[in-house]
Amino acid sequence: MRRRTVLALGTAAALVLTGCSTMSPSSAGGAVTLTMVESLTNPARTDLLKSLIADFQKQNPKIKVNLISPPTEQADQKIQQMLQSGTGVDTLEVRDTTVGPWSNNGWLYDMKKDLNGWKGWQAMTENAVKASQDAEGKTYFIPYGFYGLSLFYRTDLIKKAGFSEPPATWEDLLKQATAIQDPAKRQYGYAFRGGANANGNATAAIEAYVADDVDPANGFKLKDGRTIFSAPGALDAMETYLKLFKQASPKSSVSWGYPEMVEGFSNGSTAFLLQDPEVIATVSESKSITKSQWNTAPLVAGPSGKTVQPLATAGWGVAKGSKHKAEAVKLVEFLSQGEASTNFTKKNSLVPILKSATEDSFYKTGPWSSYVTMTENPDKYLVVTQPRGVSWWTEWQQKADADVQKMILGKLTPKKLLADWDAYWTAKWK
Amino acid sequence: MSAASATAKSRSGPGRPSHKGGAPSGHGARPGRRRREFTTRRGLLIAAFMAPAAVFVAVFTYYPMIAGSQMAFRNWKLTDLTDTSWVGWKNFHEVFADPAWGTVLANSALWVVGSIVPQLVIGFALALWLRRRFRFRGLYQALVFFPWAISGFLIGILFRWLFNSEFGVVNDLLQKAGLIDQPIAWLAEPDKAMIAVLVANTWYGVTFFAIMILAALQSIPDELYEAAALDGAGKVRTLLQITIPYIRTTLALTVLLRVIWIFNFPDLIFGMTGGGPNNETQIVTTWMIRITQQGDYGQASAIGLLVVAGLLVFATFFLMATREKREVKP
Repeated sequence: MRRRTVLALGTAAALVLTGCSTMSPSSAGGAVTLTMVESLTNPARTDLLKSLIADFQKQNPKIKVNLISPPTEQADQKIQQMLQSGTGVDTLEVRDTTVGPWSNNGWLYDMKKDLNGWKGWQAMTENAVKASQDAEGKTYFIPYGFYGLSLFYRTDLIKKAGFSEPPATWEDLLKQATAIQDPAKRQYGYAFRGGANANGNATAAIEAYVADDVDPANGFKLKDGRTIFSAPGALDAMETYLKLFKQASPKSSVSWGYPEMVEGFSNGSTAFLLQDPEVIATVSESKSITKSQWNTAPLVAGPSGKTVQPLATAGWGVAKGSKHKAEAVKLVEFLSQGEASTNFTKKNSLVPILKSATEDSFYKTGPWSSYVTMTENPDKYLVVTQPRGVSWWTEWQQKADADVQKMILGKLTPKKLLADWDAYWTAKWK
Repeated sequence: MSAASATAKSRSGPGRPSHKGGAPSGHGARPGRRRREFTTRRGLLIAAFMAPAAVFVAVFTYYPMIAGSQMAFRNWKLTDLTDTSWVGWKNFHEVFADPAWGTVLANSALWVVGSIVPQLVIGFALALWLRRRFRFRGLYQALVFFPWAISGFLIGILFRWLFNSEFGVVNDLLQKAGLIDQPIAWLAEPDKAMIAVLVANTWYGVTFFAIMILAALQSIPDELYEAAALDGAGKVRTLLQITIPYIRTTLALTVLLRVIWIFNFPDLIFGMTGGGPNNETQIVTTWMIRITQQGDYGQASAIGLLVVAGLLVFATFFLMATREKREVKP
């Protein structure tokens, strides 16, 4: 009996102990194992990352990289839990929306000193260098690319409607989309975003209308310190935007998010779509419209002929809790320069971070050329920092999404919406 | 002979083992069975075997529950964890002060009632149908139960496309059947979106009722139906006086479980409408996810505690209300 008791207690203790043991990154035999976590996971991207990591390991035989790829919808939560525990992450994907709260909580490492004199800086575009520094000049991540809006349009439909050029301004877009709209034939003008992230295109319209007065350091602020929502141009923008919904968009687009918008354009039922460059790959695979039937144009402008590029970005950073910071920074450097960076941006349809990309035929031709046009004309397509790093950004997005929906459902006037947004941001900035 | 007396007879009738020689029932000492002495050593052995499970449950269930509960009384914002001080009932006040909270509660009630009634009725009908013997019954049963194996979020996404006004199958079928002239913007019109999510949830949940009720139906002895038929009872009377009374306990427990699960089931709505348009399909748990996404874990935990409290009160009243009925012999 005694033997059995001892055996049972031993088994129990072993189970508890093995359950509680933690796995720690090994550094036995001089080799360092880095843990890297991505957040915008998709299978093709994970494979690409693995191949880049293999190249890095070849160049650095004493560093091993263990890539963790949580599903996108759970990734941020998982990374937050890992960061909060203080260990277990070395290199990680940081986005412009997560850098604020994560650095605020002391979870990210400022790489500024480590990257002093790094030759990669000279090869990067001005946008990329700018995006890699926060307001206090700290470098919590190096962007791997940008997501920026351009106008996808149907070449055949605008021609049929009697227009020779794609729209250059929001007013042109309204005019052309209205002319094309014919619900009886299930032909719609504009793929309106009324569902998730409806706020993005609405604020892009407002920024275009106030482009001359917008503060380059804060896309939601005018140069005089007031919010962009208080400017008279903002009301014109929202009224035009509302007309675009009423006159030129499918009724059901009140609930349209990314998938419906892209599907609407890809299946040939809508003529215009404002989207990120990653959609180029999706539309290229469409069986409903051929490559000769569509193209992209630069983002539509406001009455002054200028517009603001609402660039979103993400990149690679290092956790403050990392025990192998030097090696982790080395990995960030590797991914942010040369072939690794070019490969990553091309295969993920991102606006590149390297200057050399504008000379690349991949970016110079076809639907990608509008992004090069925008990059090469910063006086017309203004580069303005968006306040995406503030701690209330998600709260704002949810609020603004609901307000845009209320407006297009007729439960809120553009004037009241703008007054409310003005009050919201004014209060937050106090 | 009435149906009720048939029930009594069948319980001790042929084909049913008598208590003689079977497992004894009732309380108190059991004659003829030697009771093992409880010693310290034996107690230790039991404790040792239970320890891993107890530690596991404590670490992975009770600790997060308690930690989560205290979060509801703290300024626990993921965007700034430098100040997680005690704030008392502030998070609860913020929940109640939100102008959308009333709509969220009303939607939750509609979501639960509007889902459970059709699920119960259709699930019951399906179970009655599947109880009959026919060719390929096993295959039909597997097909009916299939939705239960799919993730709620995925079902939400599938129905989002089915109900899409321009490209969805639902409008296409309705138009081809001549029931509508113009496509209905199911997920965009505030008064239609809730109907769409309820239809999706009914499709999903019917299965569980069908499984549970079918299992209960199969425990009803055939003799009861034969006796009822001899007594000249019609289909409706047989249903009301034999079938339903016999499976009342299963029905009550299934309804209780489903109410709790449906109330705690944001997946489908989240995938289908995200709570829109204009919060018209926002329920308490989707609202909680929304607050979590803002990083305000304090307020989200407060909502979580309110959900637990509300469901506890409901379960208590429901069990009290159904106990009397369940104790009445059919």
